[in-house]
Amino acid sequence: MSGTQKMIKRFFSILMLIALLFQSGCAFKDIDKRIFVLGIGIDPSETVEDGFRVTLKLAKPAGEVKAEAAQGFTHLAHDAESIAEAIRDMETHVDKKLEMGHNRSIVLNKELLSKDMDTFMDYFTRRADIQMITYVAVAEKTAEETVSFAPDTEPPATIALYNFFDNTGTESPYVLTTFLFEFRREVLSKGINTVLPIIDFNEEQKHFIVNKSIVLKWGEEPVELTQVQTKYFNSLINNVSNFTYKIEEDNLHLVLHIDEVKMKYQIILDEGETPRIDMKITKVGVISESTKRLNNSDLKKYDKIAADDIKKKVMDLLTTLQENNVDPFGFGLRYRATRLSHKDTIDEWNRIYPEIEFNVTMDINLKSTGAVE
Amino acid sequence: MFEKKAPPLFDGLAEQFKPSDDMIQTPLHMNGQYAFLFYLKSVVDGNTLQQTVIKPFFEMSSEESFTSYIQSLPNRIDMPNIDKLLILLSAGFVLIAIGNHIFLLDIRLVSNKEVQDTLMEPTVHGPQKGLSEDIEVTINLIRQRYHQPSLKVETILSDDESNRAIALLYDYDRVNPDMLKKVKEQLVELDTPLLQSAGDLQHFLNKGTFTLFPSTLITERPDRIVYNLNNGKVIIVIDGSPDVIIVPVIFFDFMSSMEDNYHVFSVTAFTILLRYTGLFVCILLPSLYVAVTSYNPDILRLELALTVAGGRIGVPYPSFIEVFFMLFFVELLTEASMRLPKAVNSTATTVGGLILGTAATEAALTSNIMVIVISAVAISTFVIPINEMSFSIRVIRLMLLVYSALFGMVGLLVGFIGLIMLLVSKESLGVPYLRIPWISKNEELRMDKR
Repeated sequence: MSGTQKMIKRFFSILMLIALLFQSGCAFKDIDKRIFVLGIGIDPSETVEDGFRVTLKLAKPAGEVKAEAAQGFTHLAHDAESIAEAIRDMETHVDKKLEMGHNRSIVLNKELLSKDMDTFMDYFTRRADIQMITYVAVAEKTAEETVSFAPDTEPPATIALYNFFDNTGTESPYVLTTFLFEFRREVLSKGINTVLPIIDFNEEQKHFIVNKSIVLKWGEEPVELTQVQTKYFNSLINNVSNFTYKIEEDNLHLVLHIDEVKMKYQIILDEGETPRIDMKITKVGVISESTKRLNNSDLKKYDKIAADDIKKKVMDLLTTLQENNVDPFGFGLRYRATRLSHKDTIDEWNRIYPEIEFNVTMDINLKSTGAVE
Repeated sequence: MFEKKAPPLFDGLAEQFKPSDDMIQTPLHMNGQYAFLFYLKSVVDGNTLQQTVIKPFFEMSSEESFTSYIQSLPNRIDMPNIDKLLILLSAGFVLIAIGNHIFLLDIRLVSNKEVQDTLMEPTVHGPQKGLSEDIEVTINLIRQRYHQPSLKVETILSDDESNRAIALLYDYDRVNPDMLKKVKEQLVELDTPLLQSAGDLQHFLNKGTFTLFPSTLITERPDRIVYNLNNGKVIIVIDGSPDVIIVPVIFFDFMSSMEDNYHVFSVTAFTILLRYTGLFVCILLPSLYVAVTSYNPDILRLELALTVAGGRIGVPYPSFIEVFFMLFFVELLTEASMRLPKAVNSTATTVGGLILGTAATEAALTSNIMVIVISAVAISTFVIPINEMSFSIRVIRLMLLVYSALFGMVGLLVGFIGLIMLLVSKESLGVPYLRIPWISKNEELRMDKR
């Protein structure tokens, strides 16, 4: 074969190899051929026995983001015996690939909470793409309604449902956050109960309300925490700042703004004494509103007034939880971790917990009256 | 009257140079004294010839005194062999025959002596003038900036058709003798038909046909040359080229601008950071776009993912064809604006950059995010101070693009690791290409035992 012929052959083979480049890899799927799932709602099914109704909130991408008034969503709902089946069926209802990678909220119906949580959440915890980023919440109404609800404050290319939870948007002590991995860990471990935020919405005014929470109990009815209890619990366990507190004494009204919360506790089991938990709480803040002129030298007095009052509220929270025999603080987990382990440890704790005493030391430290002197 | 004849050598030479019209073979004659001149008129400085040779001839009393005068001229060189003589004559040497003696004088006329402005590597501070196309002027410029007796200049005559002078400059006290030997060997072994410029020479010094990265550095800045001389590197100067070659080089040499030495620390640190960010942006961004939009859209923030997805509505081709398409046009644009005359240049950029970009988006041929990506890439390519490196980077990012189009994010990572492996295995005259400048080779080898 002559040299020129060889050259020509080589040239064409290279050309054909380059043409191969236009064939993309097998996982190649353009972003416009995918549809993003932004929220999953799970309700008990009305048509399928022991089944679930799964609702997917899907984002409709807009060509001109700036020109749109609000993010366009569409919803898919389907009944099936299990979550995986429902989602698999729904794949046949859209022309695009369901992309779960951006799903950051799973909303559960309240009725499902007393069911076998482990099995129906299994599908999600097994998905590598969402297990570390998804928040779990409970719907006050049905999950389907909550997921399909679009508040007025939702501009295009954002989603309100999880702006609540990731601390990039609102930061409030009323909003509790539970990740999917946390949820699974706490559901499965003994000595701690999971707390989930409750999402409610106002139909007329078109906004979400997230200020309550619910404590799960394995196979039993969950315990709902009130707004105030949620605030106290959240500030203690997650050291949430922006905590405001109102004191009323005689005709003095004070609103404190707490920036810093620290909580330590110790489980003390001494021979001959009733078991108790010593809890020390430190809060640092300023006075943000007052009906009277305040003097910096009186700060110690306000510290004391606030401490006594807040202590009562914390005690109320702790005893409520104790009476309902739920333990979202994880005292039991601490007990298991710090005592010599044997097979009865958790039973022992279950015996101790209902009669344990709480000894709360509250330390409020106001830095200033907040006013410009 | 008895008339002296020119020596037979002259006739032989005349035969060789015929039928060139600029060949001059002329006798000087006065009172029985004879001298014969042989030179090429177009390359010899006539004025100097008149002043230093012809005029003294008529003022001297005897042939002997003229012979000794010529003999003591500083620009006289010894007679070489006949082949070399022909080359020298064509470079502007003058052959003088007096009696039985034949002398060779360097009376060259060099018209490209002016010092050029630094065009390729401009800086805000620092010298604004570069080198000259004449080798003597270039060496002069370098010597005037580096007054050290240890600065050696060795001239080698290239072996090709142009027979250019090539000079090696190095600081004898600082240069690594093994490396110097290697450079000389390479220059002697050089086998090329025609050598035109420093770029040419560099091409032949870079071993292997398929090289991605340059293993020598071309510069026009005298301050960079002096800086490198002082660091024990060898400078190769080639006659007729305003650039010189610096060997050996490491990767980080290509990423440093001389201006780094002229600013305060914070400014330098910031610009270096900026430059390396630019480097990574222009290597990775196009492939990252493909990998992220077509394989792993979950890497993006949701807001961005939705915007990208919205931007791609109606775009007919998959993302990697979109990127290839846009990169192709940007490359065309860069290439065009480089070759165009300065007057038309800005028109080309405006038409290409602005109009094409907007129109392509409006025609839904590309997404507007793509236009941003491509412009960011195009701009950051220019941040790399040495042009050859930015040319290399332009090629490399296409290769990474292929990887990421085929295997997504994983492909991009594998491709990038491959790129680093390539850099690590490369060397420039015995110096590892990715050598960390402030750690010696031995220290680097001991790294893993720490």
